[in-house]
Amino acid sequence: MVGTIPAMATVTASSDAKLVTFSHVKWVKMITRHLCKSQVMAHEDHEAADRETKRFHYPLDPNSYQILDQIGRGCSAIVYKALCTTTSAIVAIKSIDLDRSTSDDFDNVRREAKTMSLLSHPNVLKAHCSFTVGRRLWVVMPFMSAGSLQSIMAASFPNGISEPCISIILKEALMGLCYLHDQGHLHRDIKAGNILMDSNGSIKLADFGVSASVYESSSRYLMLNEITGTPYWMAPEVIHSYNGYSYKADIWSFGITALELAHGRPPLSHLPFSESLVVKITKGLRFSDYQKDEEKGQKNPKFSKYFKDMVGLCLDQDPLRRPSASKLLKHYFFKNCKGCDFLVKNVLRGLPSVELRFKESKLQKVGSMSSSSKLLGQHEMEDDEEDEEECLNVKKNRRISGWNFNVDACELDPVFPQDVFVKETTRGGESVILEKKEGLDEKEASDDKEVDDIGGVDREVVVGSLMALKKSLDDQREKVVYMLTVAGGVEETAATAATSGGEICNKEEQLMQVIEKLRLDLENEKRKRTSLEMELEFLKMHITNTCDV
Amino acid sequence: MKGLFKSKPKTPVDLVRQTRDLLIFADSKPDSRESKREEKFATLSKLLRELKQILYGNSEAEPVSEACAQLTQEFFKENTLRLLIVCLPKLNLEARKDATQIVANLQRQQVQSRLIACDYLEANIDLMDILATGYENPDMALHYGAMLRECIRHQSVARYVLESEHMKKFFDIIQLPNFDIAADAAATFKELLTRHKSTVAEFLSKNYDWFFAEYNSKLLESPNYITRRQAIKLLGDILLDRSNSAVMTRYASSRDNLRILMNLLRESSKSIQIEAFHVFKLFAANQNKPADIISILVANRSKLLRLFADFKPDKEDEQFEADKAQVVREIAGLEPRDH
Repeated sequence: MVGTIPAMATVTASSDAKLVTFSHVKWVKMITRHLCKSQVMAHEDHEAADRETKRFHYPLDPNSYQILDQIGRGCSAIVYKALCTTTSAIVAIKSIDLDRSTSDDFDNVRREAKTMSLLSHPNVLKAHCSFTVGRRLWVVMPFMSAGSLQSIMAASFPNGISEPCISIILKEALMGLCYLHDQGHLHRDIKAGNILMDSNGSIKLADFGVSASVYESSSRYLMLNEITGTPYWMAPEVIHSYNGYSYKADIWSFGITALELAHGRPPLSHLPFSESLVVKITKGLRFSDYQKDEEKGQKNPKFSKYFKDMVGLCLDQDPLRRPSASKLLKHYFFKNCKGCDFLVKNVLRGLPSVELRFKESKLQKVGSMSSSSKLLGQHEMEDDEEDEEECLNVKKNRRISGWNFNVDACELDPVFPQDVFVKETTRGGESVILEKKEGLDEKEASDDKEVDDIGGVDREVVVGSLMALKKSLDDQREKVVYMLTVAGGVEETAATAATSGGEICNKEEQLMQVIEKLRLDLENEKRKRTSLEMELEFLKMHITNTCDV
Repeated sequence: MKGLFKSKPKTPVDLVRQTRDLLIFADSKPDSRESKREEKFATLSKLLRELKQILYGNSEAEPVSEACAQLTQEFFKENTLRLLIVCLPKLNLEARKDATQIVANLQRQQVQSRLIACDYLEANIDLMDILATGYENPDMALHYGAMLRECIRHQSVARYVLESEHMKKFFDIIQLPNFDIAADAAATFKELLTRHKSTVAEFLSKNYDWFFAEYNSKLLESPNYITRRQAIKLLGDILLDRSNSAVMTRYASSRDNLRILMNLLRESSKSIQIEAFHVFKLFAANQNKPADIISILVANRSKLLRLFADFKPDKEDEQFEADKAQVVREIAGLEPRDH
């Protein structure tokens, strides 16, 4: 037993322990590691069996952990990087405020703790242990030093990651998902923010805050009639919850995550979340949802047909036609993947540490008045809300504001000035609007009072974000005009846009209304275009038919 | 069914038999180091996975009820369940989880509209002792705990556990530092005390004295926040259940109980306060309040009324408001009685 402790700790401890000078701890570690090695040689098979089934390598006492840094925060949870002084391992500790959760949520917390402590797969984040500290629950987990893919993209790859890297990341994540599905668990919140990377390039699926076990529900059918997850990643049948939720919904989210990694954001994320739901329900979702960006100068030849085919399979509207995780794993896209070293070289190089990224995001949060924007950190937490309705509300704002950071980073980043890529401008503008909406939401604001001092709002910053807001509206208008010309457009909408465009300066509400109107127009135009296209198709068919005759 | 048998040549009955043979092997040779041992354990794990898939289906196919019934019948024909429970510590983590899910599922399987699992457990009720003591072994606690919780779906089995010595141990187990184990035990404890109404009512009236003495001192007055919070919620669930009205009346007539509840009302945790109110209201609403209860309420009247003045849950709750209004009326209208 004793011998196995350092074995568990070695990987995570090696790089990060350097930050702290615990010479005696290091010394003990060296000794024990040595001991452990010889023991391993003696009883190799026993060791393996023990490591798999034995628990409690980590102490159940808060005094055995030294908090080093805060690396993430949600509405009722904080994630710390910490040193476990008895094993000298660096760990992540998710500290959940239990007093803010209802008894139903409490059951979820219990289930999550149990799920996490019984999982054992290299691509799934497990809990070392969990225990209560006053009113908080501490869940001790392996520390994934590179953080979530979402935060990695925000810091280094705002336009997405290259295909060879994506294939490795997705393959690893898919193996984790396969394991979860095999175990009867649904993840229910697959997205780049829940895929974590370690300094050695290894990938793990995380955050089972909303995961559910089909074995624990009373029905034998693999359906769960609850809406959970994050809108942009949610499958159509989850939104139409009458069908329930099954394994195949995770596959959909997996497909969206693939697109997210490729482009730096999920498709349709430039729309407020309810719109993205509606749009997704009414039409299929493909690469074409990024088309506007591509048409405006940013071609996307960088993705192989295998990648597009794989994503296409995941994003089939009919869940029955989507492949299972194990079947998807056999897809050609995942053949000949490179190893995790490749990720270390191509993704992790030059990446600021998780702690640093979190701190930066916090600073920007204060700056941009987005009080609840979160999580740069490695674990996103959205559970334990007091009120379901409110929760949904807060959730959607918070989730979207998750992108704020992304966006802000882009704006601040001198390498990507605003007007170079349409995608960036769009995202910058959109998110500012959402941010403002958040600011208006009193509930939310009071909810997060303790998080940051919102009071210290900088005038410059406000003006700055309003300017960005204006810019985004201009961009919206531009897009509409563009769409109109494409579809052989109608003048009047553009006129409306132009007139209202003049008065934008201060009132977000007005702006929101305008955008709403523009969006509707856009929708109309799109619909018109599709019907025209269908007519064209029909005519073409007709012509070929007559030709044949 | 066609699809199932095409891909798997073995029938469910064959699979169960083979599993049983391997379990007998695993049980009989505790420390054998022969080379075949590992191989046999690997086969056993594979078989358990296959049994699980028959019972639950997989991501491609739904379970077939005919196959489930055959499997269940064969499983309980002989001592497979006992073997599986006894050998569980020898299996690897994945096999343990599969086994747990199999046992859970079998409790619900009907063969000719009979729950034959129940018949088996009644004849082998000592298995519950193994499962319940499992909470003392951190490596097995979550597996045995989950099995136990499924087995007490059967009323006769729940009665056995309620009346056993294990019941006393729960008061300590649910306060273990390991959150996952403690929470699992708390879920089982709650299930035992709420699922089968008549059995629970009988148990509580027979064991009133020791049970509530333990409940008050170990759980409601625990220094551990989670323990207090879970305990006060469960107490409300128990006392407000119609089938426990006799127990409720008795509980709400005790001055000591009132003192504990009033302390919980003063907690800084909103969640605990709200749950405590749901028990406290029973003391106030009791139409035959003993004199000492009345004198405590009168002595604390102004404090209580002040507390209730701005006392409300985060969520709008009409029922709560109505209850509160009634409690306030009761307390405001109390006249101190001379002894």
